[in-house]
Amino acid sequence: MGGMHGFGPVLEPGGELPYHEAWEARVFAIHMLVGLEGLGAGPGGRAVREEMEPSAYLGASYYERWLFSAERRLERKGTIAPGDVERMIERLATGEPVPSHRDAAMAERALGRLRSSPPIGPPPAGARFGPGDRVRVRRMHPPGHTRCPRYVRGATGVVEAVRGADRLPDRAVYGEPAEPEAVYAVALRSQELWGEGAGEPFTVALDVYESYLEPA
Amino acid sequence: MSDEHGHHHDEHGHHHPRPASAVELRARALEALLAERGLVSTDAIDAVVELYEHDVGPQNGARVVARAWVDEAYRRRLLTDATAAIAELGFGGAEGENMVVVANAPAVHNMIVCTLCSCYPWPVLGLPPNWYKSAPYRARAVSEPRSVLAEFGVSLADGVEVRVWDSSAEIRYLVLPLRPAGTDGWSEAELAAIVTRDCMIGTALPAVPAGVR
Repeated sequence: MGGMHGFGPVLEPGGELPYHEAWEARVFAIHMLVGLEGLGAGPGGRAVREEMEPSAYLGASYYERWLFSAERRLERKGTIAPGDVERMIERLATGEPVPSHRDAAMAERALGRLRSSPPIGPPPAGARFGPGDRVRVRRMHPPGHTRCPRYVRGATGVVEAVRGADRLPDRAVYGEPAEPEAVYAVALRSQELWGEGAGEPFTVALDVYESYLEPA
Repeated sequence: MSDEHGHHHDEHGHHHPRPASAVELRARALEALLAERGLVSTDAIDAVVELYEHDVGPQNGARVVARAWVDEAYRRRLLTDATAAIAELGFGGAEGENMVVVANAPAVHNMIVCTLCSCYPWPVLGLPPNWYKSAPYRARAVSEPRSVLAEFGVSLADGVEVRVWDSSAEIRYLVLPLRPAGTDGWSEAELAAIVTRDCMIGTALPAVPAGVR
């Protein structure tokens, strides 16, 4: 969404809170537990949310998108089937008691894993670029998940640091082979991104996978 | 956080029962479905929600900042290996595995965003506020940061370089604000109390409350 016009002011009533409504907190937790308990399959949450039809994505609330991705991941694993949620909505509408389930061990497992999570790898020995190198973000147009925002494609910047090594999400999230590759902090000047006349210049820095870069 | 939350739902002073929206009914049904099948426990959902409402939040990041303000060696470690330095204070975990702390300076102001979605350093800031995940912030932080800062009441001097960090990969960022004048001799706890969440996102500057000292 970087650079899109017309969305209006950032601050709105309720904006300071993490959730607009109480159900959103439940969806957050369910989504995390689907992952932690291995109940879902296929790409992770964000890549699935990006499968939403663009106007639906923009029209949906943040946790509506999370609900979408939780359901799709559960369906892809076969944990639930299409129609299951609709049937439960109908049952609850008749006043049936809401099922609940207790499992203290699951709660402990979840908290343990949320508190201890592994980092990406250290910078690889064969990194192609180093701090100070000028690089250009490739012109590219991937149809699926990517961590290369549109607004930086084609822009030239400077490598500030090698952050570490990670598998390219464009492939890894779909279960395709992807060896760990260098990830760089790249600084781009605002004039390079938005042209002259966009007010006082500033810098945008972001973390860029080596596959997205070429020498400049 | 939970108090704010309660306030949000009681903003008219009492509960108005209102019909649940379609998406809320859907969310309830999914939880019920997974509970009925014994796949996701109600107490596990409660525990995850409570973790980020009570234990994990900007109070953690504020402790990191306050420590860096009083302990130069800690500050250096924080700027060299933020994940390890933050772990010294007992904070870490999901969405904080690869931390980088960016320090404000008299001529440099940092702010963080995730234009692709909502990446945010959970162990030190908790879950992001709604505005951070909103389309306006995601769109504008990288194209007109000074006008976004102005909405937050932050006006930077001419010549201050704004550096916007777009959390596009697995690195998560925290802004180390400048320690404000008038805080000499303050304890770490006193300092931590003036470090707000927005100071560590970069959309606010720490301020000494009027009438303090």
